[in-house]
Amino acid sequence: LADTTPRQHWIYLCRVLDVKRRSGFSKQTLSVLAALCEEPSRWSHGYALAGQTGLKSGTLYPILIRLADQGLVEACWQDETAPGRPRRHLYRLTADGLAAAATALAATYMLAGADVAEQTAPASTRATRAGASALARVMQ
Amino acid sequence: MSGLGRAGAVLRRRAARLLPADRRDWAEAVWAEAREVPPGPRRLAWRAGGTWMVARETLMRRRVGSAVLFAVAAAAAAWVAWPTSPASSATPGDRVYVITMVLLAGLPLLARPFLGPAGGSRAARFLRAGTCAAVLALIPAQTAVEQFAYTPPGGGTDLRVYQLIQSQPGNDPWTLQLISLIIMALYVPAIIWMTSRRARIAPATLAAGTGAGIALGLVMYAVAPLGLSKDATNPWLPGSDIDPLVLLAWLLVFCSPVAAAIIADRRYTALSSSPAPTGAVRQVVAAALLTSLTGALSVTVLGFGTTATMLKAAWLRNWLYHGPHLLYGVQNLSSALSTPSAIAYSHELTGSSDTTTFLLICIAFPLIALPLTGWAALSAWAGGVAAPGGPGRGSGPGPEPAPEPPDGGQPAVTVDNVSLAADLAALPGPREPGPATEQDQIVANLADAGLGPLRGLWRPDPLGRESVAP
Repeated sequence: LADTTPRQHWIYLCRVLDVKRRSGFSKQTLSVLAALCEEPSRWSHGYALAGQTGLKSGTLYPILIRLADQGLVEACWQDETAPGRPRRHLYRLTADGLAAAATALAATYMLAGADVAEQTAPASTRATRAGASALARVMQ
Repeated sequence: MSGLGRAGAVLRRRAARLLPADRRDWAEAVWAEAREVPPGPRRLAWRAGGTWMVARETLMRRRVGSAVLFAVAAAAAAWVAWPTSPASSATPGDRVYVITMVLLAGLPLLARPFLGPAGGSRAARFLRAGTCAAVLALIPAQTAVEQFAYTPPGGGTDLRVYQLIQSQPGNDPWTLQLISLIIMALYVPAIIWMTSRRARIAPATLAAGTGAGIALGLVMYAVAPLGLSKDATNPWLPGSDIDPLVLLAWLLVFCSPVAAAIIADRRYTALSSSPAPTGAVRQVVAAALLTSLTGALSVTVLGFGTTATMLKAAWLRNWLYHGPHLLYGVQNLSSALSTPSAIAYSHELTGSSDTTTFLLICIAFPLIALPLTGWAALSAWAGGVAAPGGPGRGSGPGPEPAPEPPDGGQPAVTVDNVSLAADLAALPGPREPGPATEQDQIVANLADAGLGPLRGLWRPDPLGRESVAP
């Protein structure tokens, strides 16, 4: 946008910012998607996701439930477990989930340089930037 | 495990059973994961979060929250409205009325297995909640009005006024209550059906019908807050038949269903990739019918509410009856109105009697809308058949408006779009701008790929750049 006027730049930014509003994912959901995108093929468990995203269990699990309802996340119970320990519930992105996460995270990542994104959502920005870069690695 | 721990485990298992069967795994998952959390406050916080999740999911899935809210509101309405006066001839009928109306207000909950859940749109939920609230509000208002209208005064001038006014033909409480119950028994299921997912009414149709109906109801109410007896109750009108507000009301009665139908048809055609004629007809009929129903319901609730308030608030009565009270059609009444209290009572009684007009409105509005609806539906059908495969219209049974995705819904995208998204991710952000044309090209590619989450990117560019505009 080097050769655009400030007004053009601003209009472009406004259009791009609209993506975030319309993506339908909250900041917390985006951070969960970003965490699951780190290694999309690997199953993750809830405590690890909570650690990665900084979300409490009361926030994390409803998000996982919604994502599973939408077919974006699949869940299963651990097959083998150590003696005396309960089986754990595992999660990973489905193909649709990976695609949806990619588009949402990419769109948000595009905003990461904007000051407004830094000021309003530093946590999600960090998370989505990490997720998008991880995603880019996976795509390569 | 200590006794406290065992008790906690039992409680958690019991709590998980509150959830629907397809959600219990999630509760078990939280409890199982708690074993991995370091003991102490962090594990406690984890379990507290799990408990919160169970409570939230239980309330959301079982609709316990809405059921409790409805039960409280219905109980309050019934308690306020429950008639106890043995002197009123309307008391037995009012009791039947209160019970039936409470059941009708609870129809969205009671008839959920038959009518299905509400559509996923805000318009559907708003309309259902609004209908339920309107019915509940109507219960105490109508009961108060009928109790007053059919309770004869102890004696004196008021009794004479009562006998003169209530001896008019058609003033039978049972008949009026029966008519109003039949009307509501048709109105409420019709609205509930139109807001259900099974009816496949588009959110834009619901919004158009509701908006037009509320506008119609408000204008009608402004014209006649106590019924259509212009001689008595037009505090803000000079009493002329050609008052602009009256003209607007007449205009809206005939035009608002058609306008809503046209808007619904256009929105359906614009938003559906291959709209079918049957779907368009359905939207048109629903919009027009919804306009008449919500319009009549709005003016009825507001009118009965105003009348009931007038009975309690003298200032409102004096304001509504600011001019000479003609009391048309009641012979020998003028001679009885010798004192201010008798005049006030006659105003209140006349206003209460005039509420029957709202029942007429409830019958008339849908009847007026029916032929207009038929005409609009025929137009929509003809338009759909005449332009098979044309822009915006399909020839075959095209898809109905897709149900909205669940809360926070994300339209599904195919994995083929991932590379496109990765391209986007690789773009420099606004702080490190790249060539505008490249970004715009990718944005346009996203638009072509139909990526729902990024739709905001391809609205028409105010600068008119071709690479961005679809």
